[in-house]
Amino acid sequence: MTCGAHRPAVEKATVAANDRMARGVGVVTLKAPATAAAIAPGQFVHLRIAEGADFILRRPFSVYRAHGGHLEILYQVVGVGTRALSEAAPGTAMDLIGPLGRGWWVPEGAAHALLVAGGLGVAPMGMLVECLAQRGVAVTLAHGAPTSERLLARELFEANCRRVELATDDGSAGACGFVTALSEEIIAADRPDVIYACGPEPMQRTVAAQATAAGVPCQVSLERLMACGIGACLSCVVSTRDGRKRACVDGPVFDAADVLWEPSEDPEVRA
Amino acid sequence: MSAVDMRVRIGDLELRNPVMTASGTFGSGREYAEFVDLSRLGAVVTKGVSIEPWSGNESPRIAETPCGMLNSIGLQNPGVEAFCANDLAWLAAQDVPVIVNVVGHSVDEYAAVAAQLDSEPVVSALEVNISCPNVDAGGMAFGTTCAAAAEVTRAVRAETRKTLVVKLSPNVTDIAEIARAVEAEGADGVSLINTLLGMAIDTRTFAPKLARGVGGLSGPAIRPVAVRMVWEVARAVAVPVIGMGGVTCAEDAAEFMLAGAAAVAVGTANFVEPSATLSVIDGLERFCAERGIARVAELTGAAWPERGKRET
Repeated sequence: MTCGAHRPAVEKATVAANDRMARGVGVVTLKAPATAAAIAPGQFVHLRIAEGADFILRRPFSVYRAHGGHLEILYQVVGVGTRALSEAAPGTAMDLIGPLGRGWWVPEGAAHALLVAGGLGVAPMGMLVECLAQRGVAVTLAHGAPTSERLLARELFEANCRRVELATDDGSAGACGFVTALSEEIIAADRPDVIYACGPEPMQRTVAAQATAAGVPCQVSLERLMACGIGACLSCVVSTRDGRKRACVDGPVFDAADVLWEPSEDPEVRA
Repeated sequence: MSAVDMRVRIGDLELRNPVMTASGTFGSGREYAEFVDLSRLGAVVTKGVSIEPWSGNESPRIAETPCGMLNSIGLQNPGVEAFCANDLAWLAAQDVPVIVNVVGHSVDEYAAVAAQLDSEPVVSALEVNISCPNVDAGGMAFGTTCAAAAEVTRAVRAETRKTLVVKLSPNVTDIAEIARAVEAEGADGVSLINTLLGMAIDTRTFAPKLARGVGGLSGPAIRPVAVRMVWEVARAVAVPVIGMGGVTCAEDAAEFMLAGAAAVAVGTANFVEPSATLSVIDGLERFCAERGIARVAELTGAAWPERGKRET
């Protein structure tokens, strides 16, 4: 699987549906045939949510699924942009740039993959799990969330995963606690061939350390504030062993072993 | 409609139209090649280039603000050697004038970059950046006093015969005075404004939104400040002024030219709409055609009181 083979373009999309999934969480379906046909798992689109508003920048969103000329995007309301997105009615025009970035990749010979998602960390994993299932890769998903309501899109994952393990902070579903406790057990018991992680950065960092300790390759999808989305503005840099990389074109998916998680690890940071 | 003569001059440099890119918002042009036919632009102004590689500031580097954004990128760039080998080599195959933005921690560093770029045929002009608010040493420090601005301009002028533009900081008491100082040292033009020093604080975490605390404000929010400064500078110097600060459409570009700019640059709008430069060019041509203006250059300074009010 190679990602990012298609050149990005501006596409005039239309909101086809916009549904609430949980408190403050929704899924917007955009009619965007060109991007839907070209996008690969883990890539993103840069969405212009509103014109004429006092917020001007686009917002980057992972694409959860792409099918039949449509993109599905999972979002959480965190600011003015996502609030406006949550209020966009079907029929609303919303242009996007896509597909963008480097998505997930499947290592040669991988037979068993572990996906670790914290909260909305499932957002870039819908296409991934479908792609892995199609390729005959056995998938285990470890999904954590604050509460059961926020364990999103369980049907899709249950349909495509060999095994789904859940954790909630309040114990309302699955194990009570963090998803990283699940990932640690699964890595030890099953030794997957590859790990894919997305969620809050401390969670990803913990999973990356677990993967390193077990000698399992691990990919992480990192979130950064982004202005241009196409590699020009250098807003979204990630510190790596190979210098500061742009999440928008060199990522958002990175090999976890390359990421320098602590500022103190980054030789570029002046003491 | 194509009857409008869109050509403008900056020193010895003739541009096919007055619309260029603002440094730092367009990479080296390559990043935008999927979205913009570069050969249609007046010029590509590259990101800032230093003598050694700079790694820039820590993240977060941007924060959105009403009708604008703060940035503190910190002039991350690969250094002039890698820039020439990669970015300039690519730009050499494009049919567009190239203006390279030059940065330094010291006068000697500015001069060294200028000397290296002077031997690059693809470089049409240098834009000396004495106005970046996001670096600790150099940057804006050279743009806030007449003496320092003059010293950098003199040192760069001694190293290059190419068209020399100096990019001015708005974070000063009297920008016209700085403009006169760099003009006196041989600048062929001035560009303004760079970003306005600003800050935003997260009321949830009680921490500044930018890792560096302060940053530079850009976007439509700063346009009135920029138009005012272009007006002041254009009336104070004889050299051409390149106006910028929140240009998003043809009317914005026209406003800067009416204030006295010979050319304009599109910056933050590139992030919003990658092809923003092209709609500004097309719209500006239409703007002139609809008003029977034969040469876009006629707009420059047309709002000055001595020109009289336009019959409408």
